[in-house]
Amino acid sequence: MNDMSGMQIPFRQKCIVTLWPSFMIAIVATGLFFSAFDPSELYPYNLDIEINVVGAYTLGFFIFWALSAISSAITLYFAITNCRKIHADQSSHSPS
Amino acid sequence: MNTADPKIQQSLYARHEKIYPRQAHGRFARLRVLSILVLLGIFYGTPLLRWDGHQAVLFDLPARKFYIFGLTLWPQDFVYLAGLLIVAALSLFFFTALAGRIWCGYACPQTVWTEAYIWIERKIEGTRSQQMKRDKAAWSWDKFRVKAIKQTLWLVFSLWTGFTFVGFFTPINELAASFIGFNLGPWETFWIFFYGFATYGNAGWMREQVCEYMCPYARFQSAMFDNDTLIVAYDDMRGEPRGPRKRSVDKSAAGLGDCVDCTLCYQVCPTGIDIRDGLQYECIACSACIDACDEVMDKLGYDRGLIRYTTENAIQNKPSKILRPRIVIYAIILAIATITVFYDLSQRVALDLDVIRDRNQLYRETNEGLIENVYTLKILNMDDNPHAFILSVEGITDLELFTDVDNIYVNAGTVSELIVRLRADEANLSAQSASVSFRLQAQDANHLIVEEEARFLGPRK
Ligand code: SF4
Ligand code: SF4
Repeated sequence: MNDMSGMQIPFRQKCIVTLWPSFMIAIVATGLFFSAFDPSELYPYNLDIEINVVGAYTLGFFIFWALSAISSAITLYFAITNCRKIHADQSSHSPS
Repeated sequence: MNTADPKIQQSLYARHEKIYPRQAHGRFARLRVLSILVLLGIFYGTPLLRWDGHQAVLFDLPARKFYIFGLTLWPQDFVYLAGLLIVAALSLFFFTALAGRIWCGYACPQTVWTEAYIWIERKIEGTRSQQMKRDKAAWSWDKFRVKAIKQTLWLVFSLWTGFTFVGFFTPINELAASFIGFNLGPWETFWIFFYGFATYGNAGWMREQVCEYMCPYARFQSAMFDNDTLIVAYDDMRGEPRGPRKRSVDKSAAGLGDCVDCTLCYQVCPTGIDIRDGLQYECIACSACIDACDEVMDKLGYDRGLIRYTTENAIQNKPSKILRPRIVIYAIILAIATITVFYDLSQRVALDLDVIRDRNQLYRETNEGLIENVYTLKILNMDDNPHAFILSVEGITDLELFTDVDNIYVNAGTVSELIVRLRADEANLSAQSASVSFRLQAQDANHLIVEEEARFLGPRK
């Protein structure tokens, strides 16, 4: 079955599965978002930052990337921590 | 192939050892080189083309306009780009079902740039065995020199790639001017290095690992496969039992198959697999092993094609079919999607009208006792020429239209806002809310016409 516990995933592969899918999603999200919103109309609180349009796209891209990377990381964490094993550990600590 | 199998997962995540593919020579190798040169030419050449006084292909992000030769797309036209992407994905499905992973072998950017980097590596570091020997040897001045030259060439090539990539998004001649003058903007610099570094890493270092660990297509392509899909395969009925022999030996007398176990097919493989073990997930159908094996067969005077393009059925001596339900269905879906996108694109009107009702007031009664609604019209002229427009409205009997300007004139590629008042007699309103339709027509171009619906509100009935 798909039991990946007990198996050591190298750090490099962990990075790939977290950063790479989120990278692809970030490209799609950036494309969708900025085709709907023009960054030059987007400064909501009259922010006093000097940032050009390309800068805004870049920033948006990295925000999307970070958000999806967090999601990927949580998914990876859930996938490699075996719930049954945690359960077994806990019951072995109980008195019965 | 079941990737959920823990054993396979284990091997997928196993420690990586560098693969030194031996150079293959032959008809498929030539075809591949041709395809790679054409594709690289398109990538590096396209941003340099000009069209009607602008860069022919420019995804002008700062100006939020996409130029594709004669066509100018706006953010409003995003749907066409999405449509084109869907068509591209469907073609990939279709060609995969038909011809297997030809995309991987001949056209994927990963393959194209990897081959380019391997080419540089071979020019500097020499053949497979020279490379392996040097890498095993201790560091010496000569080893350092060779490695340094290779890395420098790789880096320069990467930077050129990154530069060209950014040149698709900001005008490349301005980019080149600021590059030479050392005053590139921070974001452009960042993206040149980012994309250059990605190319360097993927094509110089990661190579087949990108296909194995990172490529979504490689994971799901087998879903499009059936027994009639074109694959690269080893004919084990013909090849086995394998074994070395002298050229003078009669193979059938010695009880041998055609495979001389020279392992050349394995040595040329860029993904480091032995095709004689059967169809494998790692195989990108680059056909290098076909060329390698054909060369050996030629030398021995055996028939070519011990490893060849074939189908699962053909290898088992069953008939192969090209026209089968899967192919027909993919083809029909692909045809419908393609026709729809290109028809819509050909019908595209370079004019957009947005009607926004005045938010402060539902309606107003004028001194003459008419019901008045106020709207803001946003007119986007996406055409390459300025135009004067005629505005009309219908939907209610004797509906009157007033604007605060005499001429509606919008420059090329700009948005213009217009306040519009509509007045109607209450007697002509059958309900509290009626639908009205604005029509905007360019005076000098019949095809530039759009209609937009809006609500007209009156007193409660
Ligand atoms: S496996 Fe993926 S990355 Fe590799 S060649 Fe095929 S499509 Fe390209
Ligand atoms: S086994 Fe596949 S990837 Fe390897 S050389 Fe042959 S066709 Fe290319």
